[in-house]
Amino acid sequence: MIIGENIHKSFGDLEVLKGVDLHVKPQEVVVLVGVSGSGKSTLLRCFNFLEMINDGKITIDGHTVNPKKDNLTKIRAEVGMVFQHFNLFPHKTVLENVIEAPITVKKMKKEAAKKLGTELLEKVGLGDKANVYPSKLSGGQKQRVAIARSLAMQPKVMLFDEPTSALDPELVGEVLQVMKQLAEEGMTMVVVTHEMKFAKEVADRIIMIDEGKIIESADPKNFFENPQNERTKQFIQLVE
Amino acid sequence: MPEIITTVYDVFMRTYPGFLEATVVTLQLTAIGVILGTVIGLVFALMKISGSKILQAIANIYITIIRGTPLIVQIMFLYFGIVELYTMSNFWAGAIALGVHNGAYIAEIFRGSIQGIDPGQREASMSLGMDRRQTMSRIVFPQALRRSIPPLGNQFIITLKDSSLVYIIGVAEIFSLGNREAAQSYQPFESFLVVALYYLVLVMIFTFLLRLYENKLDVDRA
Repeated sequence: MIIGENIHKSFGDLEVLKGVDLHVKPQEVVVLVGVSGSGKSTLLRCFNFLEMINDGKITIDGHTVNPKKDNLTKIRAEVGMVFQHFNLFPHKTVLENVIEAPITVKKMKKEAAKKLGTELLEKVGLGDKANVYPSKLSGGQKQRVAIARSLAMQPKVMLFDEPTSALDPELVGEVLQVMKQLAEEGMTMVVVTHEMKFAKEVADRIIMIDEGKIIESADPKNFFENPQNERTKQFIQLVE
Repeated sequence: MPEIITTVYDVFMRTYPGFLEATVVTLQLTAIGVILGTVIGLVFALMKISGSKILQAIANIYITIIRGTPLIVQIMFLYFGIVELYTMSNFWAGAIALGVHNGAYIAEIFRGSIQGIDPGQREASMSLGMDRRQTMSRIVFPQALRRSIPPLGNQFIITLKDSSLVYIIGVAEIFSLGNREAAQSYQPFESFLVVALYYLVLVMIFTFLLRLYENKLDVDRA
């Protein structure tokens, strides 16, 4: 579904990604872990072209993206993204947040978009919040709206950039629950998270990124019980 | 003390028909100044954030010149520059000068509001597949506009008071009438006190309306 080959990314003199190869299969749930500054969020942002790679190749759903020639807005529409700080549109109601892109980008009829939006809000457990503004929601609710908003574009893959890091501990569960449900429905997902319990339960594969490179890639059982790399062993000790 | 109150009252009662007409002129000057300034300001704010070096340079030159010279000089400059070349009334020369002057300040208000929007808003919009134009018009501008309203209201009040400067080219607004009244009646103190009261009341009314509107915006958002 997403194939990244030899991805390099620098910010000025700082090389953040030093040749990353990652192949995410359809319906696979990949969790990216690593210490902060390791490059895992940058990698995620490269996959929907919020960051442009300096070298390498990204293929999405069989199409190798040429950032100079391709219509990036079209590609971004197929790759959903959920942010650490939600980034809901504060001047729009919850439902308007969800139906904004289907109407402006996909030219969906307002009625059809509203029906879709309402369904998605019910799916994330917020059917009753359709007409309130984001400022009235808790962090967990905001993030669930952000997930619904992303799903409204019917993306082929969903990227999650530390979706629970900005939440109070008691609100983390409700967001992970929605993500777990999505995974069970077969959504292809790439998740940057520090929630190891989620990684263990939901991930098909856990990938450890360290200093801009993939140093470990294994299914959860092997990742936690039989890590190969010293840095991975240290990391697991730290988080457990 | 009671004596001065009576004389001010007398001046007020004698002059209010003229002053009401002058107030209309002042409000017209202010409205045109702000509306024209908003249009000019929007254009120059867009030029400043356009990313084009040439457009940015043009906007910077305009803003530097306008902010670096006194309004009264700009009024005279425009008056002798435009009215001499084209047939234009003093009123319109003054109104355009106020608009051009305001444009520079309002450009900075808009630029600040647009650039003050969290980059996450743009990222979220783009990640949903919205292009640059849609992101600007549907996500960034509506939020920036809301943020601009308090400083724009402030600019409106400044313009209302600054409009008194067009008396220099003989537009019959409040200050100009007060000036004439002071000279004719030999009561300068009372006359200018009345002038001050007109401005004060206008500003207070406008401040009140602005506050109502800002509160309404807050309610909408909550």
